[in-house]
Amino acid sequence: MKLKNIKLTIIGFGEIGRGFARVLLEKKRFIEREYEVDLKVVAVCEIGGSIIDEDGIDLEKALKLAENKELRKHENWTSMKALDVIKKVKSDTVLELTPSDIKSGQPGLKHIKESLMKGMHVVTSNKAPLALKFSELQKIANSNKVKLEYEATVGGALPIINLRKHALQINKIESIHGILNGTSNYVLTKMAEEGVTMDVALKEAQEIGIAEADPGYDIKGIDTGAKVAILANSLMDMNVSFNDIEITGIKDITPEAIELAKKHNCVIKLIGDVNRLEVSPRLIPINHPLNVSGAMNAIMINADIAKNITIVGHGAGGIETASSLLSDILDIIS
Amino acid sequence: MKVDMKLQLRDVPGSLLRALEPVSVHGGNIVSVLHSREDGGRVSVQISFKIKDQSSLDLIKRELRKQNIRLSEILLEGKRYYSKKTLSFILIGHVIDTDIRGTIDKINDVGLVSDIDVIMPSPEKRSSVMMNIDIDNRKIKKLNRLINEICKEKKFLVIRSLEG
Ligand SMILES: NC(=O)c1ccc[n+]([C@@H]2O[C@H](COP(=O)([O-])OP(=O)(O)OC[C@H]3O[C@@H](n4cnc5c(N)ncnc54)[C@H](OP(=O)(O)O)[C@@H]3O)[C@@H](O)[C@H]2O)c1
Repeated sequence: MKLKNIKLTIIGFGEIGRGFARVLLEKKRFIEREYEVDLKVVAVCEIGGSIIDEDGIDLEKALKLAENKELRKHENWTSMKALDVIKKVKSDTVLELTPSDIKSGQPGLKHIKESLMKGMHVVTSNKAPLALKFSELQKIANSNKVKLEYEATVGGALPIINLRKHALQINKIESIHGILNGTSNYVLTKMAEEGVTMDVALKEAQEIGIAEADPGYDIKGIDTGAKVAILANSLMDMNVSFNDIEITGIKDITPEAIELAKKHNCVIKLIGDVNRLEVSPRLIPINHPLNVSGAMNAIMINADIAKNITIVGHGAGGIETASSLLSDILDIIS
Repeated sequence: MKVDMKLQLRDVPGSLLRALEPVSVHGGNIVSVLHSREDGGRVSVQISFKIKDQSSLDLIKRELRKQNIRLSEILLEGKRYYSKKTLSFILIGHVIDTDIRGTIDKINDVGLVSDIDVIMPSPEKRSSVMMNIDIDNRKIKKLNRLINEICKEKKFLVIRSLEG
């Protein structure tokens, strides 16, 4: 069987980049057999430089070096920055997996634009560029006849964008409500189940590696807001940006409010409400499908024909999110 | 489904018949009609009928309203029926000592605060207050605007229910 070569560039080799590389190794045989392609990573870009090998990088080795923060010891390491790699190394699809800066959208924005303009497809987990410039980026993709796919930006492993695209084509989506941030959901769950204060719950989330050292993005609702902006554009055809979303986080929620909710058979959850372009804590009944605990994410959509559908799953994690990234890549190929 | 409806009609010929018409037009099967003359040229009528579903009841109600007929009470399967919702809210802040009576009065201009539950950890700390508000479906937006205003003025955080 002759395999078609598909070249990939990975920009950002952190939790998501490395998770993707691991899953690619694990599923290599399966992908070859089912899709008759050989997915070759030809460049891995980090903040200080890149490794480049047009014949395909040995991912096992790259992963080992990256784990010890020694990527620069790779024999193919160069100080070439991501933007130059995009300009100089031809690949079929660029994976943009750098951190999300919701103010500027950088560095993802320039990486995505440049890749699309160079005629390469882009698959990304980076919310900020899409939450800020959704329609502009889609236009650039269209005029260059390439695709920009972003399943991983919302709900990690949850297949929400593709659910709409491949299974709910004829539906008009009437509303979307979601628990889109694992850290805040973990904190609210802990407070409700164990009666602890927010600080204690947050500390615990950091200890077990769910929350970042600076969990402000999660607790203030900014991360959820970025996802609401993407869903509004993508599933409800609203031409909006992150700055149109009204955001109230969870930091002012008192243990007493959580106790009151519980007494009345409810829970408090941080909900992204796409119709209203709003992120805010909401009261939901205990038996409601969106009442998921811990770091889980859940998205409930109401469509005119299919009616209510709720999906629940892992909204984060390098390995889990790779499921969405690979789904986008394989979608582009076929 | 069994419906008991109390109406107030004007005591003029034909008014009872006009009131019964929407019921039968929308598939209501009338079981009994009781009426009694009251002071001031009014007749109070109690109609019991059976219908297939709640949406027929809503159609009947709409028709009666169009005719300016006052519905004083509707029981569906023996329970009070509203095209109203009860929405729950939690207010967090200094809810008690920023004139909670005034807050409730304002809300009662739009809906009806039908239940209230308070946790007040200590006077200087923020309290958390859960309210159930009965509200006409058509006034939900107005209620939300009002609650936003109150929260802004009195520096409360509001937690709405999902449908609120
Ligand atoms: N973690 C999740 O579960 C998850 C789930 C869904 C979506 N996402 C999104 O996916 C993206 C990546 O997340 P992550 O958790 O993998 O973050 P991460 O662990 O911080 O990794 C980001 C990587 O990008 C590198 N980087 C930063 N600036 C760069 C530049 N200009 N050029 C090339 N590389 C650069 C970083 O290098 P340094 O470490 O040297 O700075 C780091 O290796 C983020 O946008 C995040 O919001 C994450």
